[in-house]
Amino acid sequence: MRYLILCRSLTYAQRAAAVLERRGIDAPIIKAPLRLREYGCGYALSVTRRFPEAVALLKKNHLLTGRLYSRSDEGEYREVTELDLP
Amino acid sequence: MIYLDSAATSLVKPLSVGREMLRAMRSCASPGRGGHEPAMCAAETVYRCRETAARLFNVPDPERVVLTMNATHGLNLAIRSLVKPGTRVLISGYEHNSVTRPLHLLGAEILVAESPLFDQDAALEAFRARLADAELVVCTHVSNVFGFILPVYELAGLCREYTVPLIVDASQSAGILDVDFTRLGAAFVAMPGHKGLLGPQGTGLLLCGREGEPLLAGGSGSDSREQTMPDWLPDRLEAGTHNVPGAAGLTAGMQYVLERGTSSIAAHEQTLLAELTERLSALDGVEVFAGPTGTQSGVLSFRLRDFDCEEAAQLLTSHGVCVRSGLHCAPLAHRSAGTLETGTIRASLSPFTSAAELSRFVGILGELLRRIR
Repeated sequence: MRYLILCRSLTYAQRAAAVLERRGIDAPIIKAPLRLREYGCGYALSVTRRFPEAVALLKKNHLLTGRLYSRSDEGEYREVTELDLP
Repeated sequence: MIYLDSAATSLVKPLSVGREMLRAMRSCASPGRGGHEPAMCAAETVYRCRETAARLFNVPDPERVVLTMNATHGLNLAIRSLVKPGTRVLISGYEHNSVTRPLHLLGAEILVAESPLFDQDAALEAFRARLADAELVVCTHVSNVFGFILPVYELAGLCREYTVPLIVDASQSAGILDVDFTRLGAAFVAMPGHKGLLGPQGTGLLLCGREGEPLLAGGSGSDSREQTMPDWLPDRLEAGTHNVPGAAGLTAGMQYVLERGTSSIAAHEQTLLAELTERLSALDGVEVFAGPTGTQSGVLSFRLRDFDCEEAAQLLTSHGVCVRSGLHCAPLAHRSAGTLETGTIRASLSPFTSAAELSRFVGILGELLRRIR
């Protein structure tokens, strides 16, 4: 399972990725799928491991600025809320 | 050649500046547009510039560092964000045209806190006397003509007391003096990249205490369906493709400043300034504008008795000495100092200026004066 953390802007994505990297969480920045972006182009962090921890870290650092999605192996996206996280 | 015009543009740069620019030119595309490797390389390059600036100027978040073309661009962004026709703006008597012209263009009511040259207490009192009437304060940290260091931290405290926003022009202080964004608590701090920060021409930074209003609208790589500029920094104030090689060079320049330290750079310039002041003052017919210790940075103006400053600078040029003459785009500063009619010749220092260069410069000037008279 892969997760996407949508970001307000590229700069926010870079800040968020840096925060996660400092805690050993790999989160490459990718262009967000357009169908997930209500207002058009943007960037997202792609996280495959320690997703709940990543979300908590970003929230703590006020860097959670967009929606969260899970991506199945078949390529289906489903919005994830913080309530869904263990 | 003896280059003494770093207050306009620093000419000698760390080698890493050119190297980084070449790297960016060869490997970077445009940040915030694609997701491919050259685009992400550009994104990383630009982000490193913001991070380095945030570290150097104590900015809490890198997104508050907006990349501009120069200080004038940053000042126009800042001023346009806070000034409407009729806004009462209080400025020092030492502002550059990059402050006064945008204020005139926007129809601001300009109030000048007039004070004598090199008198920091008087400058502060002049601001205090008129702050109650002001809706905005704009102040240069250092006069580009005389090197006069304005008491911006004390002024920032006064502005907080009167709840008046402050814009600081750090064109002559960034990379040389301590410019602490958090301590200033300013609405905006603008600076060029090509002077004390040792970056290339065409670069600058605007440190933002608030969101600001765009000067340009266009692509930002974010929320493309929206027809208004994003309401977050830095995207809001950065439309169009970035100067990525410029940002790469500027980062290298700032890294040099961080490694050497502004206190070390300032101390180097102070030592040279004292020597230059003493030696120029010893020449017959030379009037030097020098302030007490702690009131002047590495910028020194002087004029020659009965000799036009532009002609003198031209003569110096023919002997390989590069200085700046005239009004230095700052007629208000010259008016405040009483040099509006004559202008001055300005010698300005850099971290790479040597005592030997200054010695040769004074020797050449002395010889020219002997020949003229």
